[in-house]
Amino acid sequence: MFFLKMAFKNLTRHKRRTLITALIIAFAILIYIMTEGLMIGMTEMSFNNIINLESGHLQVAKKSYWEDRKELPLDNLISPTEELENKIEKTTGFKAMTKRLNFSVRLNNGIDELPVTGVGIDLGQDRKVFRLNKYLVKGRMPREGSSEIIMGTKLAELMGFKNGDYAILLFRTDEDTFNTIDGEIVGLFNTPHPSLNESSVFLPLSTAQSRLNVEDKISHYAIRLTEQDQAIPAAEELNSRLKDPYHAYSWKDAAQSLVTMLEMQEIETQVILAIILTLAAVGIINTVILSALERMEELGMMKALGMHEREIVYTFMLEAAGIGIIGGSMGIIMGVIGLAIFNINGIDMSALTAGGDMTYGFPLKGTIYAGWELNSFIFVFLYGVFISILASVFPALWAARKDPVKAIYHR
Amino acid sequence: MSLIKLRGLEKTYQQGKIAVPALRGIDLEVESGEFTTIFGPSGSGKTTLLNMIGCLDKSTAGEIIFDEHSINDLNSKELAEVRRYNLGFIFQSYNLIPVLTAFENVEFAIRLIEKHSKKERRERVMSLLEEVGLGEMADRRPNELSGGQKQRVAIARALIKEPKLVLADEPTANLDSETSKEVLELMEEMNSELNTTFIFSTHDPQVMDYARRLIEIKDGKITNDQRRD
Ligand SMILES: Nc1ncnc2c1ncn2[C@@H]1O[C@H](COP(=O)(O)OP(=O)(O)O)[C@@H](O)[C@H]1O
Ligand SMILES: [Mg+2]
Repeated sequence: MFFLKMAFKNLTRHKRRTLITALIIAFAILIYIMTEGLMIGMTEMSFNNIINLESGHLQVAKKSYWEDRKELPLDNLISPTEELENKIEKTTGFKAMTKRLNFSVRLNNGIDELPVTGVGIDLGQDRKVFRLNKYLVKGRMPREGSSEIIMGTKLAELMGFKNGDYAILLFRTDEDTFNTIDGEIVGLFNTPHPSLNESSVFLPLSTAQSRLNVEDKISHYAIRLTEQDQAIPAAEELNSRLKDPYHAYSWKDAAQSLVTMLEMQEIETQVILAIILTLAAVGIINTVILSALERMEELGMMKALGMHEREIVYTFMLEAAGIGIIGGSMGIIMGVIGLAIFNINGIDMSALTAGGDMTYGFPLKGTIYAGWELNSFIFVFLYGVFISILASVFPALWAARKDPVKAIYHR
Repeated sequence: MSLIKLRGLEKTYQQGKIAVPALRGIDLEVESGEFTTIFGPSGSGKTTLLNMIGCLDKSTAGEIIFDEHSINDLNSKELAEVRRYNLGFIFQSYNLIPVLTAFENVEFAIRLIEKHSKKERRERVMSLLEEVGLGEMADRRPNELSGGQKQRVAIARALIKEPKLVLADEPTANLDSETSKEVLELMEEMNSELNTTFIFSTHDPQVMDYARRLIEIKDGKITNDQRRD
């Protein structure tokens, strides 16, 4: 207690120096909280986009299809059976399911051709699992059994289409012959998922199936649960009942590349934190050295009184911990204020990407809101205090090892 | 019984390639309870001698026996231990901790020997401060005290551990003659009341009047040693 009191009083010797050193730590923590907050916000929105527009909470497909799914193959499709659907419906937390058929399309406007993904959707069920209909900015959803299609405003712009125009979809059927659909564009959407806007065309499932000659086959089932958090256990549960070749995949499996990217980003954030805190550590080292030089005669007295090296180091460490706690608290407060300011209006990602649609590879665009996690606040606070203490050890040891005679008569 | 025995003590400082002899064969015995003055001109070796006796520095040759134990072979940690439990120091420039009050500066020293309860500690610090005449000023910080008052705090700090020996290197050098007198009187009073052994140095002939044992030193050698009653 006595040394704690002394450390506290020592911090008041040079209030400005203490404050500036603490501010460096606070600044490091502020940057971390903001970066982390932005990351959490981007992650949440990316995951929501993938769930709401691309994968649902769960997907059921054949394993062999899943492995090649990026190539949009027409083999290894599922022939829907009541038995399979019954099993899916029994999943804990099940809310809705829909059927989708993805296939490779070349979109033609008479002059240019663009490879896109064609998605046959079950118009009755799709809106119970996905949110596509919410992002229609023009027109309406296609009608069952028709050759009506919808696409993103971005894609339409790129190809020079307007709502009401006809687009030619060119594709290879199951028998490897070419077929086309003369699709009437009845709606345009603008989702927060950039790749959907740029490279997907949606049409009724039955139309896709008949033109592709695949009978009633589909690529996969997409399932919505009541709770997002239940996706992984639900997939496990469902897999215990599904028999080969069927397999359930959670949205995390679907977003595997994004998850990997996020892990990399997380490491990047940690590295940024480490770098800034290293700078803060330099500040602490500097402060401890200055303090020790100023207090040389006091240190000499302490040594003469028989204080041990480790006790002297300990007093400096307590001071550094104090600076860390002050800086950490300021950093957290600044961070919370920073996040609050961020979130008043949200962050316009298009401003960050100069109008482009992809955001550093994240499936998101538009306005995002920063998130936060109590755990990471606690972590960064303790980390700041820890770095402060650690940085003080070496200069404190240097001070504590001074020859007592030299210290007493230090001038 | 001698508290301190010095035999053929030598200390040579190495300044670059030049050897500076500071002590050149000191033989000395100090009895427990003595009030000893080391007198000599500036540069005569007083500080060096006190540093040797105070276990702060190592001699070049000769032997130091403190309380029947030779301290020649002790390492710096063991020397610190000897200082911690047996010695009190009073410095010319007080060396008080500026952010602590007079009370806390004294408390600091007793903290290092953990043998008192909190209550006991407070009482001892307070009564010692009263004894050195600072009962009213316990809560003042060093910059709110005069030079003489600061040195009184330092005396209290040196005595709070009840050390066997108190060493004071020119304790009055920064004080005017009136205040010097008061500080010396206080040290003498403490010496007779507590029977603590004092060794202090000075180059001020006025201060010599207070010596009960006067050791004169010149060029690192004792030139005169006399007891006066
Ligand atoms: N650290 C040192 N390095 C070199 N010479 C020193 C050192 N300390 C003292 N001396 C020399 O030793 C001699 C005695 O010094 P000192 O003990 O300080 O004398 P006093 O305290 O009586 O003035 C002087 O000549 C001084 O210059
Ligand atoms: Mg001297």
